[in-house]
Parts: sequence; structure tokens; C-alpha cells
Amino acid sequence: MTIDDSAGAGRSYPVRRYLRDRARISVDALEHLVGGLGTALLALAALIYLVVVALTCVAGVGVLLVPSALRVVRAAADRERARLSRWGPEIIGPAPVPDELRLAVRDAGVRRELGWLAVHATGGFALGLLGIGLPLYAVQFLTFPLWFWLLPPQAGGPGFVYWRIDGLADALAVGLMGVGWLAVVIGLGPGMARLQAWPGRRLLAPSAGTDLSLRVAQLTATRAAALDAHAVELRRIERSLHDGTQNRLVAVNVLLGAARRALTRDPVAAADVLARAQDATEQALAELRTVVRGILPPVLADRGLAGALNGLAGSCGVPCRVDVDVPVRCAASVEATAYFVVAEALSNVAKHSGAARATVTVRREGGRLLLRVDDDGHGGAEESDGSGLTGIRRRVEAYDGRFSLTSPPGGPTTMQVELPCGS
Amino acid sequence: MRIVIAEDDPLLREGLALLLRAESLDVVATTDSPGAFLAAVDAHAPDVAIVDVRMPPTHTDEGIVAAVEARRRQPGLAVLVLSAYVEQTFATELLAGGAARLGYLLKERVGRVDEFLTALRRVVDGGTAVDPEVVGQLLSRSRPDSTLSRLSPRERDVLALMAEGLGNIAIAERLFVTEGAVHKHIRSIFAKLALAPDDRADRRVTAVLRYLEETSQK
Repeated sequence: MTIDDSAGAGRSYPVRRYLRDRARISVDALEHLVGGLGTALLALAALIYLVVVALTCVAGVGVLLVPSALRVVRAAADRERARLSRWGPEIIGPAPVPDELRLAVRDAGVRRELGWLAVHATGGFALGLLGIGLPLYAVQFLTFPLWFWLLPPQAGGPGFVYWRIDGLADALAVGLMGVGWLAVVIGLGPGMARLQAWPGRRLLAPSAGTDLSLRVAQLTATRAAALDAHAVELRRIERSLHDGTQNRLVAVNVLLGAARRALTRDPVAAADVLARAQDATEQALAELRTVVRGILPPVLADRGLAGALNGLAGSCGVPCRVDVDVPVRCAASVEATAYFVVAEALSNVAKHSGAARATVTVRREGGRLLLRVDDDGHGGAEESDGSGLTGIRRRVEAYDGRFSLTSPPGGPTTMQVELPCGS
Repeated sequence: MRIVIAEDDPLLREGLALLLRAESLDVVATTDSPGAFLAAVDAHAPDVAIVDVRMPPTHTDEGIVAAVEARRRQPGLAVLVLSAYVEQTFATELLAGGAARLGYLLKERVGRVDEFLTALRRVVDGGTAVDPEVVGQLLSRSRPDSTLSRLSPRERDVLALMAEGLGNIAIAERLFVTEGAVHKHIRSIFAKLALAPDDRADRRVTAVLRYLEETSQK
């Protein structure tokens, strides 16, 4: 009997998993369709503006407005690029719109964007509406047996159901049609989302020739940022070694020299000098420890990222909850970066936010490590020069990661960082 | 010997004062910033100032700037600059106005108290004390097309020791050669650097300065 049970469980498990996967895929598709509807609305607005500008062009005055219209189109296209990059392969933006009108109109990137605008503002918009409408239909139909009695029988049901509904049996039949709608949503949703994204993926990606040079430019920039971040880091280490450890050792050396000279003349004084030298040695060791910990925290190697972050949270001035769910370890440099980002963020929270509590969340999704630090402080955090946030951004960008900060005045503040895991 | 110390690290400042006072030298003031140092020089008119290169606010070359200013205010003030590492531009900047009554030593030399005190006295007595490390770096960095490249290795050794401020007898002892041999090398150095034999003491300093100038040009 036990054997039968486990066999039954073994059979039902893949089914449950299949259903769960389907549900997740459908929800994702719905999310994409709604997001696409958002950019389609932007595209529609841009299209209308473009048409207005084109019409005024006929009158002659509109020519001056063409550059601004192209910039509006570019802004809408960039939104779509960002959206598609979050979801699938990254889409790199083309070079800036040329200033000169004649060149701008001839620019291949601009033309492709205009093509996308026309398709997305219409077809993408329709698909987005459909994407929202279908699930709503499905819900209406499915729940109809629960509320059909609220309507008079001759009023019919939801959507196209205009016939008389007499009693529960009819209502259940309508409910059954809801199952059909649901099947349509599950079956077509992902395809619709892909279809909606297709023009963007085709037309907003740079054409084959420009692709490589842009990527090179971008890599060069991030590489420069990496070198910069390293230079800053080296400078910090050099400064702390020089001002701390080295000066302590020099002092020890001077004191030992003095002690040696004093030994023969005045042994009591020599003992006093030696005691001072020992104090200086202890200080040097303490400072050296701090510096070493700053380079690569040993706690990372000993206790892993979760343990290290818990340690940070424990020593943070603000009560802090850490939620790390990363089954596989990332490359050491990535973990070290994550550690510094959280350390810097928490020290910002403790110093500036006035928060009562903070939360650190770490997840791994695909090849990326996602960090999120929330606090309930008074917000208004800014990336001014010299603030820790600039340092965080640089470090993150050096790893080809992404950094974003939401901190409206009055709070709360959310910092999100994405790092490629490198493993 | 009246001494003013300018060093921002408290432990080292006190260590230096302790060491010098134990040698019955008169440390009249210890200061931790360029401003306080210049005020102390004005107030106490010391014989010699011991100055750290890196001082607040930026911890770069404040010490050098303050030392140059102190010598402008009080000509003939002996200055011994202490540095945590060799920085050739600082050495040249300092020595540009003449090498007499000047010293540039790495901080760790202070621990060898005998040598440190010798260097200090030499500077106060109108001599020069340049750290062997500084001289060594200047030598190794000299460009192949410079006049310095014409010197033989032995002549370079002699010039290096001259730059440290040693006299002929001391150089002979260090290199295990006779004083006559040292004389011969020095004559050869002067010839190769095209220094006219008008004033022997000045030529020694000029040779060292030629060194510093040539190596800091590029």
C-alpha cells in the first residue's frame, strides 16, 4: 500500500509541476503583455505627436519640431528596449539621433524605430488589450455560476452571452465556456507576448553592421569603469596601509632605536620605551587586520555569502533582516562585490536614513545575482559626489551589473543590484 | 641644538621627541600641521626642523611646501625631511634651491639612531643628507642618453655616496678603496659632468643636483 501511494505521488508530481509551470508561464506572458501595452501607449502618444508634427510640416512651421519628435520616438523605443532587455537578450540602443535633420531622416536606426513605432502603436496595442481582455473574460465566465442570480434571466451573461440564462445548469454551461477561455489564455498567451515583442526585437536592435562597434564601445566604457573602480580601491588600500600600519611600524622602529640607546644609560626608561613600542605594534596589527578584511573578507570564505551578510546585518546599527536564497556559490569576486555593496548600503542606512528596520534580499536567477536592500527611513537618498552610492554604482557597473535606486522624499528607499554570477 | 618637529602621526611625533630628548637635544616644539609648524618656526627660531612629507589636509606634499616656506622665512634653517617612501619629485623640489642644510631621509632610518643623529648633525653643520634609497632610485631611473650614463658603475657608486652626503674618507671606507682612488673617481665624475674646478665643495653638491635634475626631467 505504501508502495502504491508513493507510485501515485510519483505520477501526480509531474502533473502538478506541469500545471505549476504552465501557470507561471501564463502569468509571465500576461505580465509581458501588460508591459507591452504600456510601451504601446507610449508609442501611440509618440505616433500621434509625430503625425501632428508631420501635418504642421506641411504648413511649414513643423520642421522645427521634427528633432523633438524624433527624440520622443527614441525615448519610447528606449523604454521598449529596456523592457525587452529585462525579459530576454539585451538590446543595445543605437547611436544618438544625428543633430542634422537630413542625416537624422536618413539614419537607418531612426527609420527602423519609426517602423517599430507604427507597428507597436497599433498591433502591439491591440495585442496588449487582448492580453488583458482574455483573462478578464475567463474570470468573468468562470465565476458566472456564482453571481448569475444577481442578474435578471433575460439579461444574459458576460461578453457575447446574450441569451436567456435559466437556472444553475445554464450558468454552469457558461462557466464551462470560461474553462475554454482559460485554455485560450494559457495556450495563446505566451505566443501573443512573443508576437507583441517581435517587432521590437527585430527593429529596435541595431542592424548587423553597427552592432559590434556599439558593443565594443559599451565594453570599453565598463572596462574603464572597472579600472577606475580598481584604482579607487587600490588608493583606499594604499592610504590605509600608509596612514595606519606603515606609520605604526615606523614608530615602533623609532621607539626600538631609542630603547636600544637607553638600555645602557637608563634601563628603567628603556623598559618604558619598549612598552610604548609594544602598544604601537598592537595598534599596527589591529589596523592591518582592518585593511586585510577590507580587501577580501575572510568571512566570505569561511561562512559563504549568507553567513557573511548575516554578520553584516548583526553589526548594523539598524535592525536588519537578511533573506538569502542562493543554492549555488558565485565567483569569489562577485561574492566580494555583493558583500561590499551590502556593507556600503547598510552603513548608508545606519548613517543617513533614520530607518527603524532594513531588509536585505539576495536571490539567484539564471546567471544573475539579485540584491535588494530596503529600508523604511525618510528616503531622499541621492547619488551625489563622494556618497557611498556612487561607489556602489561604479563597483557594480565594473562587473557589468545593474544598479537602481528608488528613494522618494519621505521614503521608503529601495536599492536593487544585479550582478552576473560569473559561474 | 634647537629642534622643531612637524609630524601628524601622534605616536611617531612623540617617539621622535622622546628619542631626541634622550640624546639631550633640545626639542623646542612638536607640531602636527603645516600651519602650526610655520608658527613654531617663527616663534622659536630653531636650528633645524624635522618635517614629515605627508601632512594634513591632503596628505600629499604639504610637508615639502611648508619646509620650502620655512626656509624662505628663515634663510639658513636646516631642514631634515622624513618620508615614508621615495618620491623623487619631492627630493628635487626640495633640493632645487640648493642642497646645503638639507636632508631627505626615509622614516625607517630614524630607527638606526647613530646614523640618524649623524645625518641630523651633518645637516645642521651645513651639509646634505640624501637617503641611499633615493639616490639608488635616481640612479636606476636615469635615462640612457643622459650624461649620467657616461659614468662607470664605480663612479656611480661614488656619486651615490656623495649624494648621501658622505665625505671622501667615509666613501673610501664604504667602498673598501683608498682615499686616493676616491679622489680619482670624483675627478673623473666632475670631468664627465663638465664641472669646472673652481670650488670643490660646491662642485660636489652641483654633481648631486645635476643628477636630480636629469632624472626628474622625464
